[in-house]
Amino acid sequence: MTGGAGPGRAAVLRALAAFVLALAFWFGFRAPYERLLAPATEAVLRATERPAVTRLSAEGGEILVERSDFPAGSPRPGLPAADLHFNFVLLAALFALDPRPLEGSRVAALLLASLVLFGVHVAALAFQVRSVYATALGPWSAAHYGAASRNFWSGGFHFYEVAGRFAAPFAIWWALRRGEEDRVGDDRKRKRKRES
Amino acid sequence: MRREAGSPASRRESLAFLARFGVLLVLFYVAIALRPVDAAVVVPFTAAIARVSGAVLNALGEPAAVAGTEIRSPAFAVQIENGCNGLETVLLFGAAVLAFPAPWKRRLAGLVLGFAAIELVNLLRVVSLFWIGVHRPALFSASHTVLWQSLVVLFGVLLFLSWAARARPAGLPAERRP
Repeated sequence: MTGGAGPGRAAVLRALAAFVLALAFWFGFRAPYERLLAPATEAVLRATERPAVTRLSAEGGEILVERSDFPAGSPRPGLPAADLHFNFVLLAALFALDPRPLEGSRVAALLLASLVLFGVHVAALAFQVRSVYATALGPWSAAHYGAASRNFWSGGFHFYEVAGRFAAPFAIWWALRRGEEDRVGDDRKRKRKRES
Repeated sequence: MRREAGSPASRRESLAFLARFGVLLVLFYVAIALRPVDAAVVVPFTAAIARVSGAVLNALGEPAAVAGTEIRSPAFAVQIENGCNGLETVLLFGAAVLAFPAPWKRRLAGLVLGFAAIELVNLLRVVSLFWIGVHRPALFSASHTVLWQSLVVLFGVLLFLSWAARARPAGLPAERRP
């Protein structure tokens, strides 16, 4: 199920180099990424609320939460965005552990993994916003959310913070890594079949 | 019978591993999120990390006083919380080790040694972050949130892969070394 001798020194060095490169990439592109993440999550939230009132925007490293039914002049919650999506750096480092990480199929796998991780970020932000609605708005929260839904939204986001944030890149990498090895295995089988 | 890498059986095992990993991760999360467990285990454990970190900092000539889970000096103070105590990496590592099809003795040995290794790296993280907070405060936020958290988790994953390669039971295929 895993590498015969574990990750070799070259793989670890590749992963550390990819970690540094991904970190630089993440620092450079985090602001545009957040400007993409905010409307995508807003669409998900608005599709699941009646009436659709949530507006999300990215500004200064935060996701600002706006509701059209908030009283004018009331403070708007700002959620730190980096905590949500810096796990991309881990994902890139994990992909660099694989043999020949710059091969076309591995780069395509990393792009697919990044897309899946984007979906995870959308879900995590949606949980975070709902968690704010359910627990952080005083009497308004109490009036609109019962105990079960408060626990569901805040527990879901807390799970992401404690465990899911890092489990997601690992699980995505593992699933796609296996897919790649399966493909290699299938190629070998086809080759053997042709030769026999 | 030996199963070949890339075979449907190997693919099923891989997906079954991920399913077990996910279930165990949720169970572990629920266990540490319970208030009595937090009060009786997590907080005292975190306070112990703060005490050891304070002792290491003082031994290195960096004056630090510890109160509960807080490490403080005249120039800087830091509160060690969940996420800074290494437990999130321990959860990930523990779920992966227990989900992996290996003999129980090896799993238990992996859990004990992995826990110790992860907490050792985490100690390095807390001490270095405190030093950064005192001497390079502008770098603290990025080092704390992005750099060290990811590095500790990456270390945990590498540890798991190294352990899994040795703990693999007979009958499962040896694959390419990454």
